[in-house]
Amino acid sequence: MHAPSSSAEPGMFIVEIDDFEGPLDLLLHLIREQDIDVVDIPVSRITRQFLEVIEALDLDSAGEFLEMAATLVRIKAQLLLPRPAGEPGEDPRAELVRRLLEYEQVRVVSHRLRSAEAERIRRLAKGFFPLRPAPRAEEAPLETTWDELLVAAVGVAVQGGDERGHHVPRLLVSLEEKVDLILAALEEARRVEFGRLVRSSPGRVHGVMTLLAGLELSRERRVRLRQSRYFHELWICRPEAEDNRARGDEQSAVGSEP
Amino acid sequence: MRDAQIVEAVLFASDAPLGPEEIARADDTLDEDSVEAAVRALRAEYLESDRAFEIVRIAGGYQLLTRPEYAPYLDRFDTIPRPTRLSGPALEALAIIAYRQPIGRVEIEYIRGVGSTGVIRTLQDRGLVAVVGRGEGIGRPLLYGTTPQFLEHFGFDSIDDLPRPETLPVILKEPSESAFRAEDSQSASGAGPVARISPG
Repeated sequence: MHAPSSSAEPGMFIVEIDDFEGPLDLLLHLIREQDIDVVDIPVSRITRQFLEVIEALDLDSAGEFLEMAATLVRIKAQLLLPRPAGEPGEDPRAELVRRLLEYEQVRVVSHRLRSAEAERIRRLAKGFFPLRPAPRAEEAPLETTWDELLVAAVGVAVQGGDERGHHVPRLLVSLEEKVDLILAALEEARRVEFGRLVRSSPGRVHGVMTLLAGLELSRERRVRLRQSRYFHELWICRPEAEDNRARGDEQSAVGSEP
Repeated sequence: MRDAQIVEAVLFASDAPLGPEEIARADDTLDEDSVEAAVRALRAEYLESDRAFEIVRIAGGYQLLTRPEYAPYLDRFDTIPRPTRLSGPALEALAIIAYRQPIGRVEIEYIRGVGSTGVIRTLQDRGLVAVVGRGEGIGRPLLYGTTPQFLEHFGFDSIDDLPRPETLPVILKEPSESAFRAEDSQSASGAGPVARISPG
């Protein structure tokens, strides 16, 4: 059995996961290193070795390796299950073997591509020669002192230090404030236009908070919201105003327009 | 003026392979046959006079390229643009696409055993593969195939320059045939105790 490191337990493999393109690559490596016949994989042993290798991994980056580990474990379990006598079935390993052989072909072909590429790169087409950059100046010795460096650094920091931050002031508009606003307005009148409430304090935040306050009050059945049709003025009404809604068109609920 | 000189001028001025039919457009007296004859004459001439370049058959056309033995000298000029090599994963994905085209991402990933979105994007960005259609099935997945630049990048004349499928022990050509199917269960349905991992 192959053991690349003397400190390794027998049958344990020391591998760098970065050396492998993926779980099939690793599996193939384990199989080929041990001269295992790919059509007769000792699933138990290979599974153990595979798990040993991926155990050393950062699991976040190893999802595909874990998936393969799960597949191996499942195949192992399927091999242990007694198969119904006289019922021919496919070897549980068959699909995996097929994939391994196929992947091995991919490796063969990509190696051939690699050498074809290397050959091709040795031949150059008539190319455009950009002007060569001027030869680099001799490297000047560093004559700056730490003090000068500090001044330079601090100077830059002072120059650019100001006005850099972008401050987003947090608008303090509370829901309670808007609830009070609505209720106060309804003290004076049976109904009030939403637009009028909002116009008293412009700004998107005020509008949104007033609407939320209206919705909240409506949910608590402390007000009723009326709108004659979509995009028309929204009215906030006292709950008892419902009885009077026949009076005005604007008080009929959305959806019951003529 | 000889045919050969006209062809030579065209090849010299071109920065990509040109097919004989394209070269023939240079003059009414030229046709594909006379272009091929001119190329043969030029090749003999270059060989005779030991030029540093030669006419190479690439991607179904002809291109003037320096001979490989001059690469070490040209390597000293870091201003000469040249293609960068592809990474291992990119070569894997490209090999799969080359043999199985048109093929979708999910199939590529199943064969490689790893996600390949980024690698396919890289190959697309470099113009080595392109979307060539859409598959049947859920979501009508994009199907990829190789481009003429693929042939140029590897110096192939045609896709047939890839190792012949017959010379590869198994499978790449046949997507879903299992070589190890028990004799009596010919159904490919995946029924029975089959260790089948569904793509995706």
